[in-house]
Amino acid sequence: MVATVLKLRYRALFNTLARRPWQLVGFIFGVLWGFGILVSVVAGIVSLSLFGSLEASAGVSIIAGSALVLGWIVGPIVVAGMDTSIDARRLAPFPFTRRQTMLALAGTGATGIPGIVTTLVALTSVILWARWPLAALAGLAAALVGVGICVVASRLVAELSGGVGGNRRWRELIGTVVLVVAMLAGPIITGVLSLLDGGDGSLGERLGAAAAVLPWTPLGAAWGVAPALAAGDGLIALARAAIALASLSVLWWGWSRAVGGATASPPRPSSRQVAAGRLGLFGVMPTGGVGATWARSLSAWLRDPRYLRQLLVVPIFPILFAFVSGVDGFLFAASPVLVAFVLAIAGYSDVSYDGSAYATVLATGVRGRDDRLGRLLGSACVGIPLVVVLSVVTSVAGGDAARLPLVLGAALGVLLTGYGVAAVTSAMIITPVAAPGDSPFKSVPGQTFVGGLLVFVVWAVIAVLSVPVLILATTGMVQGVGSWGWATLATGLVVGGGVAALGVVIGGRTFDRSGPELLERIRALPS
Amino acid sequence: MSQQQSVPALQLSGLVKQFGSTPAVAGIDLTVPAGSFYGLVGPNGAGKTTTLSMATGLLRPDAGGAWVHGIDVWRDPVAAKRVIGNLSDGNRLFDRLTGEQLITYTAMMFGLPRADIAPRVSDLLDLMDLRPAAGTVVADYSAGMTKKVALACALVHAPRLLVLDEPFESVDPVSAANIEDVLRSYTASGGSVIVSSHSMDLVQRMCDHVAVIAAGRVLAAGTVEEVRAGRSLQDRFVELVGGRHTSEGPQWLRQS
Repeated sequence: MVATVLKLRYRALFNTLARRPWQLVGFIFGVLWGFGILVSVVAGIVSLSLFGSLEASAGVSIIAGSALVLGWIVGPIVVAGMDTSIDARRLAPFPFTRRQTMLALAGTGATGIPGIVTTLVALTSVILWARWPLAALAGLAAALVGVGICVVASRLVAELSGGVGGNRRWRELIGTVVLVVAMLAGPIITGVLSLLDGGDGSLGERLGAAAAVLPWTPLGAAWGVAPALAAGDGLIALARAAIALASLSVLWWGWSRAVGGATASPPRPSSRQVAAGRLGLFGVMPTGGVGATWARSLSAWLRDPRYLRQLLVVPIFPILFAFVSGVDGFLFAASPVLVAFVLAIAGYSDVSYDGSAYATVLATGVRGRDDRLGRLLGSACVGIPLVVVLSVVTSVAGGDAARLPLVLGAALGVLLTGYGVAAVTSAMIITPVAAPGDSPFKSVPGQTFVGGLLVFVVWAVIAVLSVPVLILATTGMVQGVGSWGWATLATGLVVGGGVAALGVVIGGRTFDRSGPELLERIRALPS
Repeated sequence: MSQQQSVPALQLSGLVKQFGSTPAVAGIDLTVPAGSFYGLVGPNGAGKTTTLSMATGLLRPDAGGAWVHGIDVWRDPVAAKRVIGNLSDGNRLFDRLTGEQLITYTAMMFGLPRADIAPRVSDLLDLMDLRPAAGTVVADYSAGMTKKVALACALVHAPRLLVLDEPFESVDPVSAANIEDVLRSYTASGGSVIVSSHSMDLVQRMCDHVAVIAAGRVLAAGTVEEVRAGRSLQDRFVELVGGRHTSEGPQWLRQS
């Protein structure tokens, strides 16, 4: 039974790859990447076991192992997207017991590329203990438990973010919270560590401290068994093994509950209800193609998690830079411009986010110019206030309010230029994105290597068009703000506004020509 | 007046569309007279949706053209789409909006005057029995309710031609009967409807014209009486399209 599901998963994978050559290229890169990691890790392990001390081996094993578990938990949500091609809900119609379902799902998790690489790395790590046969033997078993913790924990997270009982809003909320936490993980960890050691420990000391604590947590317990045995501490090894096994059982139990919930109560309406007559923005905006698109776009920016996710950069950049180089550093001062850069590109393939609902836009025969302008106004209503507030806050917090016109000019210049460029590119580019209502963190089929590179092309175009205002701003930064500030602000608004207007006109013409082709490409995306 | 009548509501000529190496539509000619209630029937994969997409400006044909009340859909799509009310099949709606917002949005897209919008939306909510769900997000609608709100969106700008792809799929019988009444009085007042369906009974009952298409070609077209030639539309359809089995099913499926 489990074997059948595994076969099914590989059959599905190969069918997809056979149909889409570019995805095959991506897949091959993935395999090579995994293989490369494997080779370098094994090489590291072998050299460490030959020349390293027991403490070094123990530290590496525990910290790397813990990082591996953490990666399995966070990675699928933040980086790679969750592989939901086989989940509990899809297996629900078949006469499987819950245990069979879970074994099948754990099996698919363990036999994907990350699963295979993890298993091989965990097993080869036993080489570290080659000098202590008993530790090596126990390490082998512990490594398998560790891999089990990785797989089950990641399945549990996937199931949870897939929705407790399938509640749509809950799912969206969890996803967003996890993303914020993950993006701020760097600063948070730095902060916690500096609290622990009073902020004056070196990186090595901090890692040493972590290696002492981690084996007593579910993250590191499995990886701490062999080092303890090698050091001759049988009792400690036993305790850690118990923690590892207990963690695995608790995770399995929690996952079992989650799977039970998912299969017994399929997604049900969350019945978000507003009073009839509450039209929101649709009651405010002027009638016509511009107003309608504006209202729809702005609603999406305010409510759709896929758009909200793009707004997370607004607080994250300045906070990150404040941590890295302090509030009086250059990066912190320039953070509004970087935020503008990222926000501007958010709409570079805006039509993709419509999904096939774009057909209803096309069916109304809205003029390209109106559609472009509506979308631009929608994102500008969110982007411009955010960038202005951010510029004011960072200038004041940086203790240099006089540089405000400079920062504001550069940031708004970049933002408006980016909107203009996006107005054109979004009439040309369709990228695979998460479907409306799906987790913005779900892996999207059909994402290709070449498609990913397009972002950088668009970014380059924005950067080139922003050169005048950026030169003015940099000069002002170097020579002292003075009158450069107002010149930058004026240039930013005029050039940016000009590019935006031009973008609406050119993008509008492109859209009038390419409208039906955009729909055809959206519908051709794998869903 | 007679001049006006002679311009068909929808004229398709020589439509061809190929997806990769598979021809989806292989040369379709169709004339929907103004004021008619036109049924489009055909087996799965016959090319109904593809044909209607090309007729409404959603899918560019490889060859051939479409005219709506004499307006070339592919030369002047903006003018053509103003007079078309389109319910397409297999496309999502902007389902993060509430039903009421979605219909209002569609009305705004067609540039209806603000003063007209609210009364029309209200009428359509009553007509589709969607009043209690007006404030619910469309993503939380059932399949039938989604169909109905899409139909309301197709009607809101009072188009001259309605193009409805599978409008009654999953719609409950009461709502379907209500909608049927409205469509009847719409055609009686001079509007034209072309509707694709798998329900032969419904087409025979509602439509005055019908076209049977299969494998991207028109097998028969004309008034319902002409096409069914004295038999039920169901029998005539099976005869034209073929592929009916008369077996009892495999032995292992039989319960006794």
